[in-house]
Amino acid sequence: MDSLSGKTALITGSSRGIGKAIAKKLAAAGADIVINYRKASGSSHAQAEELRDELESLGRKTLMVPADISSKESVKGLFSNIKDSFGTLDFLILNAAKAPFKPIEKLFERELRQLVETNYLGNIFCIQEALPLMDKAGGRIVFISSLGSRYYNPSYPLGSMKAAMESVVRDCAESLRAKKILVNGVCGGIVKTDSFKVLRQYWEEIDRLPEELFVDPGEIADVTAFLCSTASTGIIGQTIVVDRGLSNSLYRTS
Amino acid sequence: MNKSVITEETVLQELKKAIVETLNADESSIQPESSLINDLGAESLDFLDINYRLEQAFGIKMARHFVLEHIEEMYGEGSAIDDNGQLTEKAVTLLKIRFGDKMKDLEPGMDMDEVPALVTVQSLAEGVMDILNSVPESCEKCGKSDWQAEEGVRTKCGSCGEPAVFRNGDDLIKAWLTKVQEEKKIF
Repeated sequence: MDSLSGKTALITGSSRGIGKAIAKKLAAAGADIVINYRKASGSSHAQAEELRDELESLGRKTLMVPADISSKESVKGLFSNIKDSFGTLDFLILNAAKAPFKPIEKLFERELRQLVETNYLGNIFCIQEALPLMDKAGGRIVFISSLGSRYYNPSYPLGSMKAAMESVVRDCAESLRAKKILVNGVCGGIVKTDSFKVLRQYWEEIDRLPEELFVDPGEIADVTAFLCSTASTGIIGQTIVVDRGLSNSLYRTS
Repeated sequence: MNKSVITEETVLQELKKAIVETLNADESSIQPESSLINDLGAESLDFLDINYRLEQAFGIKMARHFVLEHIEEMYGEGSAIDDNGQLTEKAVTLLKIRFGDKMKDLEPGMDMDEVPALVTVQSLAEGVMDILNSVPESCEKCGKSDWQAEEGVRTKCGSCGEPAVFRNGDDLIKAWLTKVQEEKKIF
């Protein structure tokens, strides 16, 4: 894969899990990294600091910005920070997500609003604010989705937001291609991140899945990096499933 | 009701272990009165991780939802948290009955997002003890009343070796709420 050196990437929700793996992968390919996480204190902040040190030891520039993407103000602050530090943005990786684990019909009104605000509106806010920074040279936007967009997972209302996300991929891919911004998605299978620890509390059978069906965060990061490279200019408006064959083997039609 | 064959000391020990593993915390910094969020840097995902480790250790099911959520599920949205995301007077009354002086900072109008910071090592350990104390009188399989603590943490029948089946954390909270409501008619 070609070098991403001299490029800048923002990965939302990058102090943990898949976001962190993507940050490492893009940095290893040469990109400077904006690390975003929600809260300025607590374990995410500590993990973001660790990641920053690791990326800087590779010689990359980094910027740590705590920001809650569900807030338009907060997103504006995030991007004005990026503008001040880097001037432009090449890659926007929309990875941050937050949702309760409950059957949809049991969600309280405020939980429903938060679900949409963080996982739908938040991503749109980011795109709106990123466009001025991608104006000159174009860029890539990669959405991180999950199999919940297409298949039932118990107590997983985030799935419906991921379905909306994959629709936004198709929509923005068309409307932004004239600006030389290529939009795609990566749909991950079951990944053993912190969120998995939660999922398994609601879905006990999941522990019986054979180990080879669990996706490594690095495998999602690999495809994300590919979608940021010149090797993927032919791919527009697609969401690529990275699930080690899980959906094909378990949900196949005859 | 104090039927657990597992001691509170063991519970605290396992809890400390879970916190150390989840948060990379220094064990000496973990005190019973430490707030998991304010003092130990935990976030919501970390709670679930800690709970999972406790479940594995003791063979129990921790509550998936906090008391406030159960109140709203039982008595309707708005009963514990108002439209501004603040605690209602009734919610505070209930939390004070449940947690007593340990949550003395509670007051109506408090932002709901500040409530998780009130969870301490001690209050979490008590949640575990409540579940362990729900061990049935006798073994479901052989009928004997001879619970033993295997390796200090797993409650098993001393006669036939069957593991104890505890009530889950959410059911215990719901049962408690029902009992308090019957006695005090808060809602």
